[in-house]
Amino acid sequence: MHHNGSPRILVIGGGFSGLTAGIEAAETGAEVIIVEKNPYLGGRVAQLNKYFPKICPPLCGLEINFRRVKVNPKIKFYTMSQVESISGTPGDYTVKIKINPRYVNENCTACNVCAEACPAERVSDFNFGLNKTKAIYLPFEQAFPLRYVLDRTACPNDCPAPCVQACKYNAIDLNMQAETIEVKVDSIIVATGWKPYDATKIDNLGFGKVKNVITNMMMERLASKNGPTGGQILRPSDGKPVEKVAFVQCAGSRDENHLPFCSYICCMASLKHTLYLKEQNPDAEVFIFYIDIRTPGRYEKFFNKVLEQGGVNLIKGKVAAIEQAPDSDDVIVTAEDMLSGAKIHQKVDMVVLATGMQPEGMEFKVPGLKYAIDGFVVDAEGIYSAGCAKNAMDVAGCGKDATGAALKAIQIGLRR
Amino acid sequence: MAEILKPDLQFANEVIKAGGESLKKCYQCSTCTVVCSLSPDDKPFPRKEMLYAQWGLKEKLFKNPDIWLCHHCGDCTAYCPRGAKPGEVLGAVRKLMIKNYSPPKFLANWVADPKYVLLIFIIPLLFFLGEMALLGYFSGTEIPRGENGEMSYVAFLPAVPWIDVPFMALAGFAVICFYLGVKKYWLDLTEGTELKRKDIYNCIYETIKDVLLHKKFQLCTLNKGRVTAHLLVLYAFIGLAITTGIAAFYEWVLRWESPYPQTNIVKIIGNISGIALLIGMFLIIANRTKNALKQGLGSYFDWLLITVILGVGVTGFLAELLREAEVETLGYASYIAHLVFVFVLFAYAPHSKMAHMVYRATAMVFAKAAMREETVKKEEVA
Amino acid sequence: MEKKIGLYICKGCGIGEAINTEKIANIAKNALRVPVVVEHDFLCSNEGIELIKKDINEQGVNSIVIAGCSPRVKTYEFTFPGCFVERVPVRELAVWTIESPEEQQLAAEDYIKMGVIKAQKGEIPEPYVIEINRTILVVGGGISGMTAAVEAAKAGYDVVLVEKEAELGGFARKLYKKVPTDDYTKGVLADVNLEPLINEVTSNPKIKVYTSSKIEKIDGQPGDFDVTIAKNGSTETIKIGAIIQATGWKSYDAKKLAKKYGYGKFKDVVTNFEFEEIAKRNNGLIKRPSDSREVKSVLFVQCAGQRDPEHLPYCSGMCCTTSLKQARYVTDNNPEASAMIIYKDMRTPGKLEYYYKEAQNTPGVMLAKGEVVGIREEWDKLYVTVKDSILGEEVEIETEMVVLATGMVPTTKEPQDYLNGLAAAAAKGDEEKAKYLETTKKPEFILNLGYRQGPELPFLEGGFGFVDSNFICFQYETRRTGIYAVGPVRQPMNMTDAQEDARGAALKAIQCLEHVANGIAVHPRAWDTSFPEPNLTKCTACKRCTEECPFGAIDEDEKGTPFYKPNRCRRCGTCMGACPERIVSFKDYNVDMLGTMMKNVSVPEEEDRPRIIVLCCENDAFPATETAALNKLKLDPAVRFIQLRCLGSMNLVWIADALSKGVDGMLLLGCKFGEDYQCHFAKGSELAKYRLGKVQETLDRLQLESDRVQMYEVAIDEYWRIPQIINEFMDKIREIGPNPFKGF
Repeated sequence: MHHNGSPRILVIGGGFSGLTAGIEAAETGAEVIIVEKNPYLGGRVAQLNKYFPKICPPLCGLEINFRRVKVNPKIKFYTMSQVESISGTPGDYTVKIKINPRYVNENCTACNVCAEACPAERVSDFNFGLNKTKAIYLPFEQAFPLRYVLDRTACPNDCPAPCVQACKYNAIDLNMQAETIEVKVDSIIVATGWKPYDATKIDNLGFGKVKNVITNMMMERLASKNGPTGGQILRPSDGKPVEKVAFVQCAGSRDENHLPFCSYICCMASLKHTLYLKEQNPDAEVFIFYIDIRTPGRYEKFFNKVLEQGGVNLIKGKVAAIEQAPDSDDVIVTAEDMLSGAKIHQKVDMVVLATGMQPEGMEFKVPGLKYAIDGFVVDAEGIYSAGCAKNAMDVAGCGKDATGAALKAIQIGLRR
Repeated sequence: MAEILKPDLQFANEVIKAGGESLKKCYQCSTCTVVCSLSPDDKPFPRKEMLYAQWGLKEKLFKNPDIWLCHHCGDCTAYCPRGAKPGEVLGAVRKLMIKNYSPPKFLANWVADPKYVLLIFIIPLLFFLGEMALLGYFSGTEIPRGENGEMSYVAFLPAVPWIDVPFMALAGFAVICFYLGVKKYWLDLTEGTELKRKDIYNCIYETIKDVLLHKKFQLCTLNKGRVTAHLLVLYAFIGLAITTGIAAFYEWVLRWESPYPQTNIVKIIGNISGIALLIGMFLIIANRTKNALKQGLGSYFDWLLITVILGVGVTGFLAELLREAEVETLGYASYIAHLVFVFVLFAYAPHSKMAHMVYRATAMVFAKAAMREETVKKEEVA
Repeated sequence: MEKKIGLYICKGCGIGEAINTEKIANIAKNALRVPVVVEHDFLCSNEGIELIKKDINEQGVNSIVIAGCSPRVKTYEFTFPGCFVERVPVRELAVWTIESPEEQQLAAEDYIKMGVIKAQKGEIPEPYVIEINRTILVVGGGISGMTAAVEAAKAGYDVVLVEKEAELGGFARKLYKKVPTDDYTKGVLADVNLEPLINEVTSNPKIKVYTSSKIEKIDGQPGDFDVTIAKNGSTETIKIGAIIQATGWKSYDAKKLAKKYGYGKFKDVVTNFEFEEIAKRNNGLIKRPSDSREVKSVLFVQCAGQRDPEHLPYCSGMCCTTSLKQARYVTDNNPEASAMIIYKDMRTPGKLEYYYKEAQNTPGVMLAKGEVVGIREEWDKLYVTVKDSILGEEVEIETEMVVLATGMVPTTKEPQDYLNGLAAAAAKGDEEKAKYLETTKKPEFILNLGYRQGPELPFLEGGFGFVDSNFICFQYETRRTGIYAVGPVRQPMNMTDAQEDARGAALKAIQCLEHVANGIAVHPRAWDTSFPEPNLTKCTACKRCTEECPFGAIDEDEKGTPFYKPNRCRRCGTCMGACPERIVSFKDYNVDMLGTMMKNVSVPEEEDRPRIIVLCCENDAFPATETAALNKLKLDPAVRFIQLRCLGSMNLVWIADALSKGVDGMLLLGCKFGEDYQCHFAKGSELAKYRLGKVQETLDRLQLESDRVQMYEVAIDEYWRIPQIINEFMDKIREIGPNPFKGF
């Protein structure tokens, strides 16, 4: 670099925004540390089947970014880690990072012998509880780092003995302890992202009470080849392929009883899910209940592309009641079709709630950061939020935002 | 030819002032219409009413029975994602509607506007004080007592002419106001719409049945409590009506002057109804305060009626007890107070929230005749 | 430096059991003359790594072939600074995907052989480093441009800002008030307050501002651009390192809306931009044009000429908030006035929802969904016909004034349309082209690049004139290295987004400078120090490379001689694939290297043992293949995978050579192409497909069926398709029968 000493940046969160921010900063010569709570990098988008509007796989972009991480000596990252404390001032922060034990060390060759031997199972959080994995598991096939993880809560005490023996390379280390390290950085990028809003809180939409009411993120897993159903969209209660599906927009979003803001992505997501369905069953009929269809900018084109499919019914009117059909596992959704001015009770095979984004900061707050009541991060000099930690936005938006955050972050470092 | 819309900002403002402060928050998602158990499937409410109110489309609001089919359960308000409180807004609209239909205008204004609150009480007070003056009670005349020398309100203010005449006149006046109001309303409702049902009398009969059984109220999900409360008050009023009837019969036919012994049927019905009234009102108040957060506390209009009815009950009992206890001055005072409340209740019935019973009933009859309620069925499925 | 190869064969993860590594070791020693060959049970163990390091230090091994697992697993273990390292994923490609032991052995042999050849032929690249200039040029002095300039300067870089108007500020200058850019819950109308930003720009010693100026010409390459700026007659040429285009947008021509909304016919029908001027002129008072009377009612028509196939098919994303803001102009200055907004959908995404609520929360603002289908005038009132409205099937709304929410058109649209037209005409022949040139008015160009592939940033197919990135994940991807578009010229966006966007673009410009300074490629091969080295003595000036390079990295003179500009290059190797003379090579990647690898793939004598070579994209198709292996999916033993940087680097000579060696078929696995292309080099896979169209003649010359060579599009997550595709292809090959050249 033409200036003395490269900026040191901490990136909290190794999802799409965090990776982008970290890599973009590092490629200007900055020293970057990425802290990720999951056992893998990639975050929320790793759970997506495809991106709108191109219907292309998230792994395509992640792969390139992983390569950029692999070849860049200026990027350090810690998985299964979280920030314990932040102290200091812009240009001179001291951060404590807690690294939780993975119980699988660098000897792991991802040969899968351990999983074959593993006696215990755990509910797959990656698949939103739609199926189970072994207690020792690979988060997903193209995960980076490509290394197994042992869930000790699912396999406590000496339960892991069989897999420990099975591993020829002593990769499984039950004595691994959590450790805390301390790093010094000039600036911090907060890219802690979001999680799906807990749909059980929306009591009139029946999630968890009425069969075959799922969330949009569950839909992503159902449609994914590496998901619980091998990519077939089958309804949970009886594994029946779906003919008629209702999408309930703003399930928890734009609602002061839940999330007061608009989650930005849900409209495009439901339109994308319509394409998933149409691909598997061209005769599938879809009902999208909306307040406003929000496909800003060039997404309008995507919107039209989906409408051309046929069998796509748009109903202006929010669904506010969901009940089980009296005689079957089908579901009845009720809404007012405002343009015809009549309530409709639509019977469908499955309901997809377009549940919104809850910023991680709503429940889990990183010590030393400021948050607004809605859970989004409040920036300060030296501390910059990026992506969905700042506002609800789409992947493209996160890319922009994270790159911008990277600039702000290096500026602090260069000022020294 | 498309209908021409002239948005009326002034009316929108009136709604806001009348208790619809939250009106502007509505963004037309129609959660309210779906969570409302009283709303029919065809042209359901209250979403469209919210829009009409925002645009100040007075006609569309007044000429549609839905504002009365709403029983203010508050389910809509509780689930509203924007805090627009449709329940409260419709309440405000109903207030304006009553003002619009019940003649004479000035009275309507007095009742609707808090700044006249004193006036509406002072009028009857002066009236009765006037009567007392005429009887010379302020100029040294001794207040007469009953035959057996006991304290007696009839002796104090002889029913004929001092009570019955003015109150009959009052009742007559109220009835005329109601008649004119309802007539105008009915014409507006039926204007251009051909009634599906011709058996209006059956409709009326069914409506009365609904009211007596509180069929609609039962459907409220979030606010069950109010059914019992409201039912109590309703029957209390009926009871008191009966009491008055019998009393009149004793007085005019049997020429038997009150006071009557507590064991007498008229007393028993009267007292029971009185107690029912007090309990009912207490429950209503308790309920409103309990759900205030979720559904709003209600407007001046609501509380005026609550106060008046409560006043009638409380002063009624007070007067009775004080008479039994022979506490003179206070007794007479509370009796006068009682008369004042009763006066207010009757005189302003067509303009106070009291009018809801008449206009809602009318709307219900119309709804039945237009078969509006046919579609309030949740089972049927597209 | 003398090359010394070391081959290290790992026997772990079941490789040892499945494969006779000793046999392979001998082949390597004898046939391939590999000086150092080692077999090890657990190569990635410390002991294994140390052993290799020892060889490096003691025996001077400098080219290392690791035959074991994929680098997806053991990513960092086998890094030996200063050494050429080649990883051969025997575990995945031979052991896990092939069933029969005999075939596993053969596959392992082939792959290791190829690995060794790569090590023999590959060199560690010397980066291309030139003296570079680190100044950033920002074209356009609006909010985006000024922000980009200030932010780049804050990061310590010199900036030159060129604005064609006399004053800085761009569109924001025209505003009366703006939508708050941070907190939407505190007030609806914020002061525009441009001065602080303008002062920051003008007072910053690192920023040089040229107003009333245009870009006359841009030559050169990142780190070394020569930019000629024209200012009132005189011109000046300066050195520039990287470029940011922030030339913004124009409002859609409302005259085209005359028929639908009576714009131009009725004086009191104005656009949202004109409305902004009215408000500014009268300092908030809304006086209508016809009789300059202050109005009590204004109706806003959303999506006027937007979301409309006949006008702008897209949504400008900012008109909903703009109309909410302008509605408040109407009501806030006059409590008796009402502003009605008729919308298709209210679009206030994210936190803008708060703004919606805030702005709506005043009695005078009235909203309703509906479609405005017509406007008529009667006396001094306008009557707006609205269909499919929540106000009723069809209603007419009375108002004194109508505002059309018209949309954004990027400043790049005009030049693009012109250039597209020109290209189309040129395709029809020279006289057509000449005709076009004289009949069509030439619009003003913006960048005037001296690039062989055209004077402006390439337009994005189906991008409506926006010079946007096609990549969701890589927002600043551009097909002109070192030149980044920002703000509404890239995508419709509001001021807040534009400012964030400006920071992003500034960072990319900085990044580009730091990379070219060190002779490293920029995205997506942001680690690569190799670059194309053409042997021009053998060049026939066929222009294929100059035409095909997706990044316009190669210019040419009138004779057609190519001039390579390495700093514009992304190292995809498309030129290498395009060149019929095979004169373009990279130190670690070239036609000869891969050709030799293919020629050395075993071709079994037996009729029923076909041999297939699969050329696949290293970014998507190959990871998918390795994932298939991880899932233990079985593949036909006939296939041998070879990774390419991009299918665009596929040279037809390979196909000819391989097939003439008796290989039964060639399968190409590349990324999706077309409008929604996924190729990281934009055009690579498409060009491969196009070349494949020409393979016919080659095959005819060899008297071979053209079906022996086929291409499939595979995405990285479609690992499950790999076996399917291969089986499908194998069926075809078996149908055609063995290659007659077998055994020659």
